[in-house]
Amino acid sequence: MSFSRRRNILGVAAGATAFALLVAGCSSSDDKNDSPASSGAGSSSAAEPVTLTITTFGTMGYEDLYTEYMELNPHVTIEATNIDTGGNARTDTFTKIAAGGDGLTDIVGLEEGWLGAIMEVSDSFEDLRDYGIEDRKSDWVDWKYAQATDPSGRVIGYGTDIGPEGICYNGKLFEAAGLPSDREEVADLLEGDWAHYMEVGKQYQQATGKAWYDHSGFVWNAMVNQLDEGYYTADGALNVEGNADLEALWAILADGAASGLSAAQSPWDWNGGKSFVDGTFATFMCPGWMLGVVQSNTEAGGGDATTGWDFADVFPGGAANWGGSFLAVASNSKNKEEAAKLASWLTEPEQQVKQFNAAGTFPSTIAAQEELAANGEPNAFFNNAPVGQLLAGRAQGVVAQFKGPDDSLIQENVFGPAANALDRGELDGPAAWQQALDLLKELVG
Amino acid sequence: MSTSTETEVAADASPRRRPQAPRSGGFGNWLSQFDRKVTPYIYVSPFFLLFGLIGLFPLAYTFYVSMYDWDLLKGKGDFVGFDNFTNMLSNEMFWNSIGNTIAIFLMSSVPQILVALILAAILDQNLRAKSFWRMGVLLPYVVAPVAVALIFSSVFNEADGLANNLLNMVGIADQEWKHTDWQSWFAIATMVNWRWTGYNALILLAAMQAVPRDQYESAAIDGAGWLRRFVSITIPSIRPTVIFVIITSTIGGLQIFAEPRLFDVSNAGGIGGSDRQFQTTVLFLWEMAFFRRDFGRAAAVAWLLFLLILIFGVVNFMLSRSIASSGAGNRASRRAAKKKKYAPKEVVK
Repeated sequence: MSFSRRRNILGVAAGATAFALLVAGCSSSDDKNDSPASSGAGSSSAAEPVTLTITTFGTMGYEDLYTEYMELNPHVTIEATNIDTGGNARTDTFTKIAAGGDGLTDIVGLEEGWLGAIMEVSDSFEDLRDYGIEDRKSDWVDWKYAQATDPSGRVIGYGTDIGPEGICYNGKLFEAAGLPSDREEVADLLEGDWAHYMEVGKQYQQATGKAWYDHSGFVWNAMVNQLDEGYYTADGALNVEGNADLEALWAILADGAASGLSAAQSPWDWNGGKSFVDGTFATFMCPGWMLGVVQSNTEAGGGDATTGWDFADVFPGGAANWGGSFLAVASNSKNKEEAAKLASWLTEPEQQVKQFNAAGTFPSTIAAQEELAANGEPNAFFNNAPVGQLLAGRAQGVVAQFKGPDDSLIQENVFGPAANALDRGELDGPAAWQQALDLLKELVG
Repeated sequence: MSTSTETEVAADASPRRRPQAPRSGGFGNWLSQFDRKVTPYIYVSPFFLLFGLIGLFPLAYTFYVSMYDWDLLKGKGDFVGFDNFTNMLSNEMFWNSIGNTIAIFLMSSVPQILVALILAAILDQNLRAKSFWRMGVLLPYVVAPVAVALIFSSVFNEADGLANNLLNMVGIADQEWKHTDWQSWFAIATMVNWRWTGYNALILLAAMQAVPRDQYESAAIDGAGWLRRFVSITIPSIRPTVIFVIITSTIGGLQIFAEPRLFDVSNAGGIGGSDRQFQTTVLFLWEMAFFRRDFGRAAAVAWLLFLLILIFGVVNFMLSRSIASSGAGNRASRRAAKKKKYAPKEVVK
């Protein structure tokens, strides 16, 4: 569990307990329904009791919101399942779709990276236009709403969070290397394109002998996600071989790795989090949801706020988005109406702000973003950086990128090994690029 | 199924019963015949019904799937015949996974069974606190494979893992457990061995305890040493159990999945190492089905693996039969031979 503020950990823990108690209470005594519907639930107070199931993944920060929703709507009981990572949620969801949609919960969390594959079978999920999503269209940044729209115009997901990217950096390491460590100075220092980011990295590397970023894979993901068109063109054609933009970025990446800027870390392990603490690398690609990952890994590695991590309002090459999720309603659901109501409520601006405070997921609705930009509270772990405001700034100018059916496969299984070969010095840039092309041909065709 | 036949039979038999009744109870006869001949099959049928449902049907259905171009999400496509099979048989990654699987299998099963034999032989001695030791060797088996994989993944962590720290203490540099072929195989084989050695030892121990003690006594009197008794009495006597252990560990070893899947958390796509160093065949199948979403080819891989296990099982069965029974033919003649062999010694004494 990783949250932007320590206080919130307690809050969520308390919320989770309350949630558990509430669930226990509801299931043991249904006479609760007789209690007066004085909680202001309005129309739904007289409704039939209903149990809604929902599957999420990672740290979505929904526990308190479930409790709140059940208080507002006493006839609703929420049974929530949270899967540890997006990758495992992908397997879970795909398996259930493969089985004809049996076993899908009423509400299913979908991740941007594999939304492209889901879009090929988008009829596994309800068209939310039938549930009034069009009335809320203007709530979201328009590209988020567009991402959830399938080629025939059906809208299958309520947007939850987005992943505007900034740079996490370790102020203490910057200071030791003779670089500025103040948040704004760092933003000035790193302002520029990817080549510039690598140049500063080389200065740092020469001063300290240490790596600049954790491993090439994440940098590559950030680079690709930033382009107007990534592994696929906007009309869905594969867009890797002969793509000069990608190849140029790959060369920059290869140069960085060859110059010792990559710490060649195993992602999601980072030596049990210790690499965040012992100065193995000084910067880190940070979409909003990654802040929680940085914090939890630093803490797992024995560090805390004094380790020196900070968040700068800058990203090489300009605005970029990495990740973000949606809530969809399964076509097999028996309570579509109620499920859509809950999913819609969870993604309303007010709830998205609460979600951000609980889990650091940056909202996809404009009102919530404005709220954070105006009143976001400082994040104690990141040297009191006002991450809400900063991320709101980082979200400006982000454009949606079309995600094709094999996007996540290409990211993980095609470019993963090639980036690893760069990190380990096994292949130079052109050879690793060739390896990626070969793998692409083999795995995707 | 069985009940419907019975009622049918009963309905069928009742009209015939009346004319036969005066005679010597034909239906009763028939019923007892039926009871003797058919009932035993009805008793064992639940297993076969279940096996048909969860064993045979999936096998057949997998074969059906393997004949098609089948997308995980979109479902059945065109009929392609054996294309998926020929495609996989000429696929480098498939063969890489087979090589990894066999290497890990050899590095786990062979030492595992040898050590289990020795452990069982030790446990078969008159130890103090027998149950304690016997339960002790089974303890690793109680731990879920996923937990084992996570623990060993940390032990073989390249930067700060226990394995490398120990090696550093004796002056050996850090090893790349998650990047080098044979080292990753060794690490995964270690997990398998840790979990299964004790289990196999207990099964072998159970067999050893059924060996008549007087055989050991007379052999000891004849002057046979510990090793001699172990090789000439214990092993031939427990041969069927050894074969069982070898076959089950072959099947298990060739289906290894959880350990390589969880050995390196950073490889979300199921490729088993940064460059498929330890991608086993089941892991390859998993990548094919759930990441590449090619269900048809994954089904073909499943069938090829099934055939491979059959081949290995048969070969191991033959091998283990010939090893354990090398020399004399059946047990009686062996015992006779033994007596002859030792007889002169007794005279010398």
